[in-house]
Amino acid sequence: MNWKLILLTLGAFILIWVAFLVTGVSTVEGLQQMVKGSMGSARGWTGTLREMTPLLLLGIAVFVGLRAGLFNIGADGQFNIGALCGVFVALNYQGPGAIIVALLAGCVGGALWAWPAGLIKAHRGGHEVITTIMLNNLAFFLTLALVKGPLKDPNAQSPTSANVADAAFLPYIFESGNIKISLGWVFGIVAVIGLWTWLKKTVSGYELEATGANPKAAETAGVKTKAVTVRAMLLSGMIAGFAGAIQVLAFEHRFYSGFSPGYGFDALGVALLAGNSPIGLLPSSLLFSVISKGVTSVSLLGVPKGMNGILIGLVVIVFAAMRYRKAVKNDG
Amino acid sequence: MANTSPVISVLTSTLTFSAPLVLAALGGLCSERSGVINIGLEGKMLGAACATGFVTQATGNAFLGMISGLMTAILLSFLHWLLTQTYRMDHIISGMGINLLAGGATALVAKTFSSLGSEKMNAFPVAAYWVMAWTAVFGVYWYLKNSRGGLRLNAVGQDPDKARQMGLKPVKVRFMALLWTGVFTGIAGALVVSNAGSFTDNMTAGRGYIALAALILGGWRPIPAFFACLFFGFLDGVQLQLQGQSLFGQTIPVEFWQALPYLVTILALAGLLGKGSKAPSGLGRA
Repeated sequence: MNWKLILLTLGAFILIWVAFLVTGVSTVEGLQQMVKGSMGSARGWTGTLREMTPLLLLGIAVFVGLRAGLFNIGADGQFNIGALCGVFVALNYQGPGAIIVALLAGCVGGALWAWPAGLIKAHRGGHEVITTIMLNNLAFFLTLALVKGPLKDPNAQSPTSANVADAAFLPYIFESGNIKISLGWVFGIVAVIGLWTWLKKTVSGYELEATGANPKAAETAGVKTKAVTVRAMLLSGMIAGFAGAIQVLAFEHRFYSGFSPGYGFDALGVALLAGNSPIGLLPSSLLFSVISKGVTSVSLLGVPKGMNGILIGLVVIVFAAMRYRKAVKNDG
Repeated sequence: MANTSPVISVLTSTLTFSAPLVLAALGGLCSERSGVINIGLEGKMLGAACATGFVTQATGNAFLGMISGLMTAILLSFLHWLLTQTYRMDHIISGMGINLLAGGATALVAKTFSSLGSEKMNAFPVAAYWVMAWTAVFGVYWYLKNSRGGLRLNAVGQDPDKARQMGLKPVKVRFMALLWTGVFTGIAGALVVSNAGSFTDNMTAGRGYIALAALILGGWRPIPAFFACLFFGFLDGVQLQLQGQSLFGQTIPVEFWQALPYLVTILALAGLLGKGSKAPSGLGRA
């Protein structure tokens, strides 16, 4: 820690204090309630782990991109498209393995939605941040038009799809009293381990990291960096689409306008905080879900939801500053 | 508006929708031509709109309101400068953090002061903002082409290392550039809230990103970016006019028109329109 970082952290705390002051809730009481509401009870943990599922899966999606040197800001759009594909399949196909087919549909949808960004980055040099922002907005309007039109539940007032059949619900793997753990959460943990193994133990994983670390050197060493870039974007989108389908089958059971409250953007923070190893995604997604669940529980005291954006924004800024200071130092 | 001809109303809405885009795009231009990537236009506009709205309603003074909006956007812009130049943070992460922060803070303020937000707001006439937006385009164009400061801004944005060898201090040049980004996005935010009459949560609704898209479509040059903004404003106007009407016997959903600017930008980036990327080559470099 140097004085600049201390100042930044101090500034962040002052902002949080001011934000609580504006809402009229005492900071200490508010923060206490946040911890109690998210981690103080079985019910709180259930909510926290539910929040953690999309954040972890999307965090993995963004992380894959980051390792290949790509900022996939489009995870939110891929998540929405994946969720919509999952709902569409679950509503129209009730045969054997409906859950698996719906999850696959989510993967395909998310990957297709990320594809243009990968192609444009690799072959046209267009920055993936800009394309994925545009694709996010396209996804938003496309899904909105679909749930207002062809996919709308005729019995509902608001733009929403019908609920999927009970048979397509993703089961809880553990259920006892107020504690419920979804299979989707377990998929997230398994995916982290799988990603770690892939990146560390396989040639293709190594090529991805080499491309991200230094594309020119990788190209010289014989890595086809353009193909790797497109593949990384496809994989990132696929995981984000999978996260969307999981969200549908495990928790929401339908798609509606405003399906994602910005999970894809929070996931950028999750991936960034994770550091260089996928294992870091576990604590960082837990931190974000504690904040998110904590803010939901503190809203009973009269703290608006906006507190979530303030806290996550500040966490992202402070942690990024710490990592980049280190990077600058290492450069000499 | 029942009796006005459709042409007139499309023209009026084109002007209404494009003015904040023009201002925000100019804000983005100042920043990006100096080499600082700025995806935080949205957050700055939102912050300025929020401050302008609530201060005007609380004091009844439109001037005070606008000043506080400007100050908010300048402060957020200054934060971006600090994070990217002093803390050497990645420009995109910093911009994203600022967007999250601004989105959260304005939502919090809007909810807490919701009773104040429903009061009437005496803002400056919107036409004053339009004139400001158009003059600013030519001002920025002239400044970049002919003034010493403009050439320096360009030099830093193209190659910060060479600029350093010429004796320029990129950090200082960028400070001034981001100050202007704050000014322009601040006016843009004030205009958005003046148009609507009061602040509502997330009221900029992605305009910051559309402005960024216009900037890219315009090849980071003021006049083409201005026309791109007019074009996006025009699409919005057409969309209002065509809502609910059918085309070739098919009803086109409103969302199609709303999504069109984004689609055009992606196609442009894919190189189907325009002549490929003309990004300042020092973009994002220390």
